[in-house]
Amino acid sequence: MPSPAHAPDFSAPASRPWSADQDETLRCVHVRQETHDVKTFVLAADGPRSFRYLPGQFITLELEVDGRRINRCYTLSSTPTRPDLVSITVKRVPGGMVSNWLHDHLRAGMALGVMGPSGAFSCFSCFSAPAQRYLFVSGGSGVTPLMSMTRALHDLGSDADIVFVHCARTPADLLFPEELSMMARNMAHLRLAMVCEHHTHGSNYAGHLGRLDLHRLAHIAPDFLQRDVYTCGPAPFMGAVRGMLAGAGFDMQRYREESFSFESLPAEIQPEIEHSSPENETGVTTYRIHLQKLAQEFTCRSDQTILQAAAAAGLRLPSSCSSGACGTCKTKKISGQVEIKHAGGIRQREIDQGWILPCCSRPQSDVALDR
Amino acid sequence: MNNPISAATLLTRELIARRRPGHSLEAPFYLSDSVLQADMEHIFGQHWIYVAVEPQVPEAGDYITVDFGKHSILIVRDDDMQIKAFHNVCRHRGSRLCATQQGVVGNIVCPYHQWTYDLAGKLIHAKHMGEDFDPRGLGLKPVHLRNLAGLIFICLAKNPPEDFALMDQEMTPYLAPHRLADCKVAAQVDLVEDCNWKLTMENNRECYHCVGNHPELTISLHEYGFGYQPDPQNAEGLQRFQEILEASHARWEAMGLPSAEIDTLDERITGFRTQRLPIDRSGQSQTLNAEVASKKLLGNLRDPALGGLSFWTQPNSWHHFMSDHVVSFSVLPISATKTLVRTTWCVHKDAVEGVDYSVENLTAVWNATNAQDRRLVEESQIGIGTGAYEPGPYSPFTEGLVEKFCNWYVRRLDALTR
Repeated sequence: MPSPAHAPDFSAPASRPWSADQDETLRCVHVRQETHDVKTFVLAADGPRSFRYLPGQFITLELEVDGRRINRCYTLSSTPTRPDLVSITVKRVPGGMVSNWLHDHLRAGMALGVMGPSGAFSCFSCFSAPAQRYLFVSGGSGVTPLMSMTRALHDLGSDADIVFVHCARTPADLLFPEELSMMARNMAHLRLAMVCEHHTHGSNYAGHLGRLDLHRLAHIAPDFLQRDVYTCGPAPFMGAVRGMLAGAGFDMQRYREESFSFESLPAEIQPEIEHSSPENETGVTTYRIHLQKLAQEFTCRSDQTILQAAAAAGLRLPSSCSSGACGTCKTKKISGQVEIKHAGGIRQREIDQGWILPCCSRPQSDVALDR
Repeated sequence: MNNPISAATLLTRELIARRRPGHSLEAPFYLSDSVLQADMEHIFGQHWIYVAVEPQVPEAGDYITVDFGKHSILIVRDDDMQIKAFHNVCRHRGSRLCATQQGVVGNIVCPYHQWTYDLAGKLIHAKHMGEDFDPRGLGLKPVHLRNLAGLIFICLAKNPPEDFALMDQEMTPYLAPHRLADCKVAAQVDLVEDCNWKLTMENNRECYHCVGNHPELTISLHEYGFGYQPDPQNAEGLQRFQEILEASHARWEAMGLPSAEIDTLDERITGFRTQRLPIDRSGQSQTLNAEVASKKLLGNLRDPALGGLSFWTQPNSWHHFMSDHVVSFSVLPISATKTLVRTTWCVHKDAVEGVDYSVENLTAVWNATNAQDRRLVEESQIGIGTGAYEPGPYSPFTEGLVEKFCNWYVRRLDALTR
């Protein structure tokens, strides 16, 4: 039987505490591919060691990348209840020097300079009174500190009431879905809600589709105003959550957030920039229609329906009545403005949720559709 | 040509003729596919069947589908906020229209060739059918629907029983103060029991089995509320319950809440029974501590201690209306030996989960009770199927309402299979 990469001495006495002023070398003992662009790096000390830290804290890696010394902070995704190892979970960011280096070069057996844990973003922090109820909101790999806290609460047999909302681009980008389900099975009051912006073709995902707005949040956690909120994700994501809660009258004393890494932010969750061509003299403007899943783009005049323009571009979208009655062409709009004149094939509340009927919708800006 | 007499009808006629009053039914009533066929044709095909609560379709375009036996029924709220029912079947080539148990539609569109019907059932779009195509006469087939103070009943018969109007008239004053239409569905649980639907119903119509099987339910339920044989040991308890009942009824009636028993179970085609019954301890609700499960009381009710208004209908439902919530049960046959029990809990539409109520607490008593009842009826089904079973006598003190269920059932079958 192969021996583990790192074999602790369970009979050794508990070791010294771990803190930010401690500079030391840890060794990568294991690398796990979590999703197509996220890896977990498991780190251990060379000698006997029991890591103590607050779930939600971050460590600082000291790296040499292309001959340059770079320090980067990463939240620990591990839990101190499993004290022999620590781990960080890192998304490969396009153009991100450190995340790309970690993904491409860090292998089991390699040593890393690490500064000990820091930060107060933790439901275990002495500055945070224990709450009755929590709302954990994460965007993408911002799940790491919340995963650490949830793992710790789980391992400690806590019956904390947690609503755990995890937002991702697609079902394939969800982090730790199986482990979260397992913890929810063990914890009577842990409730999970996954929110994906788009579907992945062929996935059996059955969670929420779209963005996390107030309506959806109230549906997921009707008592969110009574909860202590911990948010982690890209800056625009956290900004949106903060704005949404403040707008709903949430007591912001009970709001905490943390940036999960200090690398440049992924572009895909940034607001879209609209392009349009100038109006010509007839008052008709031409806009661009982008079909996300088909990766197709075509132009559509403001006096033309999107379905007509699609047909003219040689794209056959599902449709039947072409008059807004049957709803066969119903499509989720990702961005942009349209004018809809339907004949009962769509409900106002569906329009409010971002659905349109391309057969009776005319663009008023560039439009992206979930097709 | 006269309607031919089916084998199911012949068998059923013979079984009806042999029925011994005061005794449970013969085994084929619980086992035979032919009898189930007769039940579907005459009982579920000719009577008012309880299928849903109004809050399941709160907004225009909301729909639910209800499947029982071979039927699939589509219930939808139209733009004038009226609730309509149709057979969930396309008039083109018969495809089922809506495949999910609930959803939202603009118009009703067949997934096969996109034939499109408006919410009045009218065919408004059918492509490639030619110039001479006449969509009139190809509307969805309607199903009769009545809304009794938020409880939705349907009838598949061409001419539904007219005495629904009597039940409506008598029950509306009892149910209206709870304002079910202003509620929301807080939870719904579907349970499939491996038994004939009549075993589920008979089990509901007695509480002989309660003390021995329902520790959660009997926290809030008075032991004496459903009939007891008097004896020296329980004389005092029976007397005390009678006093509580009379005092409670006087108090509730004075508040404008009708409470007295009405029982037409085996006297009418649309038979029913109702009574507002005191609840034990704090007297508030069917929960694990008998206190309200939702802090937001229904309608304009102010007093949480209103007992439980129970409402039983033939052939397939029972309901308990409390000050804070309504719990409603619909029993739908799947086959001779499989039955769906759909339990729906409603609270005030403005009650907030986690603040005013928790689903766990709201549903605890009936989830536990349903699970216990399921075991009881499934064991009955197994015992009846062994061949050793023969009809046994009902208790004159505690099983009078089971006898009324069987009486009603046998008489209705008899009347309709003649």
